[in-house]
Amino acid sequence: MLRTRVIPCLLLNDESLVKTVKFDAYTYIGDPVNTVRIFNELEVDELVFLDITASRQSRRPNFTILEDIANECFMPLAYGGGVCDIEDVGRIFGIGFEKVVINSHAVEAPDFIRRVADKFGSQSVIGSIDARKNLFGRYEVFTHGGTRKVSRNPLEWAQELERLGAGELLLTSMDQDGTWAGFDIKLTASVTSKVQIPVIANGGAGTVRHIVDVVRKGGASAVAVGSMVVFQGKDLGVLVNFPGKKELEDAL
Amino acid sequence: MLTVVDYGMGNLGSIVNMFRKIGVQAVVTAEPAGIERADKLLLPGVGAFDTAMTRIKQQGLLDLLNKKAMVEKVPILGVCLGMQLLTDSSEEGSLPGLGWIPARTLAFKGRLDTGRFKVPHMGWNIVEKHTESPLTAGFGSFEEVRFYFVHSYFVKCDDDRHSILKTTYGFHFDSGVQNGNIFGAQFHPEKSHTFGMRLFRNFARL
Amino acid sequence: MIDDLKEQYATGTSAGEARLAAIVERIKKDGKGRKYDCVVGVSGGTDSSYMLYKAVEWGLRPLAAHYDNTWNSAIATENIKKVLKRLKVDLFTYVVDNKEIDDIFRSFFLADAPEIDGPTDLALAEVLYRAASQHGVKYILEGHSFMTEGVAPLANIYFDGKYIRSVHAMFGRLPMKTYPLMDFAAFMKWIVFKRIRKVRPFWYMAYRKEDARAFLEKDCDWMYYSGHHLENRMTAFNHSYYLPKKFGIDLRNLSLSASVRSGQMSRQEALQRYSEPPHLEDDLLEYFKKRLGLGDEEFERVMRRPPKSYRDYPTYKSLFEKLRPFFYVMAKMDLVPMSFYIKYTSKTGV
Repeated sequence: MLRTRVIPCLLLNDESLVKTVKFDAYTYIGDPVNTVRIFNELEVDELVFLDITASRQSRRPNFTILEDIANECFMPLAYGGGVCDIEDVGRIFGIGFEKVVINSHAVEAPDFIRRVADKFGSQSVIGSIDARKNLFGRYEVFTHGGTRKVSRNPLEWAQELERLGAGELLLTSMDQDGTWAGFDIKLTASVTSKVQIPVIANGGAGTVRHIVDVVRKGGASAVAVGSMVVFQGKDLGVLVNFPGKKELEDAL
Repeated sequence: MLTVVDYGMGNLGSIVNMFRKIGVQAVVTAEPAGIERADKLLLPGVGAFDTAMTRIKQQGLLDLLNKKAMVEKVPILGVCLGMQLLTDSSEEGSLPGLGWIPARTLAFKGRLDTGRFKVPHMGWNIVEKHTESPLTAGFGSFEEVRFYFVHSYFVKCDDDRHSILKTTYGFHFDSGVQNGNIFGAQFHPEKSHTFGMRLFRNFARL
Repeated sequence: MIDDLKEQYATGTSAGEARLAAIVERIKKDGKGRKYDCVVGVSGGTDSSYMLYKAVEWGLRPLAAHYDNTWNSAIATENIKKVLKRLKVDLFTYVVDNKEIDDIFRSFFLADAPEIDGPTDLALAEVLYRAASQHGVKYILEGHSFMTEGVAPLANIYFDGKYIRSVHAMFGRLPMKTYPLMDFAAFMKWIVFKRIRKVRPFWYMAYRKEDARAFLEKDCDWMYYSGHHLENRMTAFNHSYYLPKKFGIDLRNLSLSASVRSGQMSRQEALQRYSEPPHLEDDLLEYFKKRLGLGDEEFERVMRRPPKSYRDYPTYKSLFEKLRPFFYVMAKMDLVPMSFYIKYTSKTGV
């Protein structure tokens, strides 16, 4: 039976790991490579690394850190953050990452995803959507680390990304990010019902129960977890951890 | 020397990393001379079937690989797309495969209810032992053994005895194969933690 | 000196335990009306984990505090997680910037100084004070036991805030922004103005590390790491490689002889353990070099250089010696540990 993937999503700011709340307010978490080593020892399923200021600063990926990370990992790795050049993509895969996460650049150059998918296969591209509710309760899509609004709604954009060749989608609720209050199930369900490719729900995980809910009720194929795996609890100290294997198995 | 064939497609870095971690010396080469010297070969692969076969031919490796496999009979392990290349043909492309294992590579699409089962088959799934094989030694009762899979096509052996591991995704398919000195793993051992390490160790010890 | 301390604190006797009970009562009284009444430093190791169990058992309401120097191993974080979950204790963590701390470690390495882990120990002390201060807590419980650890002879290891600052100023490249440096002013603030007391319960009661370990393993699936302090990779490097190789200091000597003296281990067994080389995790050296940005050649070269000591750099040592009477009073009031008074303010060493 294919297990539902629970994927720590780690945020890189410069050369350090941080965690955000609602895409704002950074807390310092630690050294990226050492944290990866810990997750390696905990045998997590997969890891996603996002450089959250790369696009904003028009920076390219930090290949040195990526190499250090890939050398430590023996599970699937995905990288996102300032991915806009197909040469860079090739280099990222050569370093040992399996997938790239493309967010801002998909909006700037829609055929980029198509080119990456054609060259490396759809399974290597994760289309990333950051969404937030506006004053009227309607969802809007943002790029560049949540700083630029684009005139698309998440549903249409998800379908477009699928059409362009993305193999998976990373759907992040900016409102739920770092709140421990649970995923945005409504948002997730509306997207999963419209696309054929797997959707990774992201933003808000606080308990294993939340994970189960977004999978069962939201139709998510996998979930990304952030605060839950780097803090002991809400408003408590930094502690890199992962739910027990048995706990997850029993629940999912 | 365990040699990883570099024909321009595949996670070579991760594979070499894992061998290094388990203390096995491995080299990566695209050169015929390097492959000639090998006493064990690993055929990686991520991407499309035809692209892979074309590149292998273009790099002048086809005859050499055939010789290593069929004449010298060195142990060869094909991983992911590499395993699919071992078969006679694939529904993904039109070119013939290496044909070292009588089998065909077929598409999940059309055979699966894609409402319930997404394609590609991506994630951690368990394997069940079928025919005995030195490649799958030491895994105990296989109760918890899982590997990371990413593929849209699967292999079906003509002779079921060549199937050494089976996995269920909608239906049973061959996730591990062996025909004499030719071995195949549909999953990514280099991305499967300690499970992958054990498998690679078994291969290195052959 | 151990025997003196044993006498002073009535270790393991009913008198000692009575004194400890009185201290616990005082902690409870002083902590009334607050969320926590004491702070316990945790590292994932035996002493601190067991300390936390005891604190909860005695009816205290501890806040666990951890200083993360970004070199933790999974065993450490898992142990902390398990113990805290089991005891339902909240965690306060201070994480230092990884690049900054690597720069500080590197400075000590290049300074040929043995106290490469000094910055970690001092930072932990500062973090415990900060955690206590933030929550209005007046007591810090430490799991130190002179019976199992001994008290290191002065000549070996020494660290203070000025020492760290001097070494960093000489060999460091990055500004010290997130590293929690306890300079003299901070030290005085904590002990004179905030009057936060340090209590070491294992100095009063009978404590056997092996028994503690067995208990932890059974009660919450806590995991023992091989050897001493190997839950943190910098400490592992320090104990298993750096100190033995460059300075001829084997800290196992400390804990082994302490164990023999207290009857927890036979002399034969201790000698046998001592003759085995310290355990070294695979690629620990590679990791160390990579993080500190040291090439193989440079690393070897520095390792081979003659050792220096704290005496070669500006420190607070002479200041502490001058203030010896003052610190005697502080020690009597539990504002500084007695071992601090003995080790830091004496001119001649032990």
